Amino acid sequence: MQGFLLGLANGTTCLVFCAPALIPFLMHEGQTVRQNLGTLVKFLGGRMGGYLLFGLLAWATGSLLLQAVGFQGLVIGAAYVGLAALLLVAVLRKKAPAQGACAFEGARARLSRWPALLPVGMGFLAGLKVCPPLLLAFTDAASTGSLAGSLVFFLAFFLGTSVYFVPIPFLGMFRRVSALQIVGKFAAVIVALYYLYAGILLCAGGIL
Amino acid sequence: MLLILPIALLSAYTWLPGLLTGQGEPLQILALALAWLVFNALFVLMLTTGHTHRYRSVLFILIAVALPLDFIPWMIKTYGSMMLTDDIMFSGGASFCPLTMPMIIIPALLKRVVIFPGELLPTGAHGAFSVMFIIWVAASLALGRGWCSWGCFYGGWDELFSRLPKRPLIKDKQIDRRWIYLPFAVLLAIVLLSAIAFQPIYCEWLCPFKIVTEFQAPATILAIVQIAIFVTLFIGLVIVLPLLTKRRIQCGLFCPFGAMQSFLNKINIFEVRIDPDKCSQCKRCIRECPTFSMNESSLESGKPLMTCTRCAQCIDACPEGAISYHIKGTSLKASPAVARALFLYPAFLLMGIIGLGTVGMGLWRIFKLITTGSML
Repeated sequence: MQGFLLGLANGTTCLVFCAPALIPFLMHEGQTVRQNLGTLVKFLGGRMGGYLLFGLLAWATGSLLLQAVGFQGLVIGAAYVGLAALLLVAVLRKKAPAQGACAFEGARARLSRWPALLPVGMGFLAGLKVCPPLLLAFTDAASTGSLAGSLVFFLAFFLGTSVYFVPIPFLGMFRRVSALQIVGKFAAVIVALYYLYAGILLCAGGIL
Repeated sequence: MLLILPIALLSAYTWLPGLLTGQGEPLQILALALAWLVFNALFVLMLTTGHTHRYRSVLFILIAVALPLDFIPWMIKTYGSMMLTDDIMFSGGASFCPLTMPMIIIPALLKRVVIFPGELLPTGAHGAFSVMFIIWVAASLALGRGWCSWGCFYGGWDELFSRLPKRPLIKDKQIDRRWIYLPFAVLLAIVLLSAIAFQPIYCEWLCPFKIVTEFQAPATILAIVQIAIFVTLFIGLVIVLPLLTKRRIQCGLFCPFGAMQSFLNKINIFEVRIDPDKCSQCKRCIRECPTFSMNESSLESGKPLMTCTRCAQCIDACPEGAISYHIKGTSLKASPAVARALFLYPAFLLMGIIGLGTVGMGLWRIFKLITTGSML
């Protein structure tokens, strides 16, 4: 319950941290509300993976990991670089055709369907961005002392923060505005470049 | 005459009190009075000749050029340089710029913090948040994106360079129209990223006009990179591309503040309309529009795109007189002259509030340079 409340109390911050990757991506995809919901579930699934990894680390290392010099910089930096790469791939790839009219097109569509995992990857890396609420959760989870307790804490924390993501799929209501897809693509590239720069800088700070 | 008199009286606040009370530097009063004279003379010409863009453009460029003439010496006199040190920023000494507006919204809502190292109330710096906010709200309600051609104190720079060549080297057909969405993308990106970074990302990284106002001291590699980006963007977006295209590239294809103002075009009563009965489809307005706000669909719908800055370049250029200012909800045939006068009044008032003092003070710095050998 404590993890859920912590997530609920700090969810807007988590939303702010994830929105720059998620919103331009969804705008670029130009999907329906239902499809956006599917993408969001994948994204949140990936994010949950990131959080559970933190839960595992919290149990394994206690708060020691947070005190390791350069740890945060390295983790956030690597997550930023990875997120930038995924975001660029996501918006610069050629979209799969909507329907495979012939066998060849169907095969091509299947081949290009692998980016379905992109939101999962992005969610995972977004979950690894050590934002202030996550640090709080890490400290609290570490104090539980057991693996199960730590994982449950992070799971509850994840659920609490996810409430704020509910309105995002409704972007799909504007999917007929074709300009939004172009805006989303441009914005994703700008955000990716920023993440790339910030990631490199943070990694350098963590290593040096 | 009735329209001119209130504007003339209102705008005399810059120099008349100094003259009447005998306080203030005579040279400064003279410069401000001269600026007042120029402003009002051009307003008279605007009203009497029917040409809007021709005279607006002169004032718009004057404001942009005058701003650094006054601002940079003020920075040097106040802080010793046009570079902001960490100390100045931590003490809230940076002048507030309206371009910051879209970036402060989310942090202000979430944390009730204005993420700009400026002052809230006016105490001496060039721009305080409260003053700029009030001006921006009033201007946006009255003019929408008209701000970008009547109130912005930077836009005159790319207008200047876009007006220099006789013909564009890069033709209209060579420009991919999808670029008109870039300002909206920049807006979306900086709003989202500023909320994470808790600092105005556009001001930190992307504003070309830092070069003509203030920027962070190049004390670190990061600050040097930032300055290099500012210089590159200024040369590219404000000088070179406007020279090549005869368009306001920074305003039309990059500025996120302009993108935000485009949405505000929807909530004020003025608009620009094309009379289909008069339009001869010569498409001159499409070629002339400096911000890519006219296209084929505009001619069909009788309206420019939402990015229209109401600069009146198309209105002046239309050989058939088919384009005019218009008040929403009234008939297209209803007197365009009345709509124009009703638009020009708040537009010119905004221009005066933003620019009259700026031009006067810029002129004063030049007078000082001539008479004393120093602009400080």
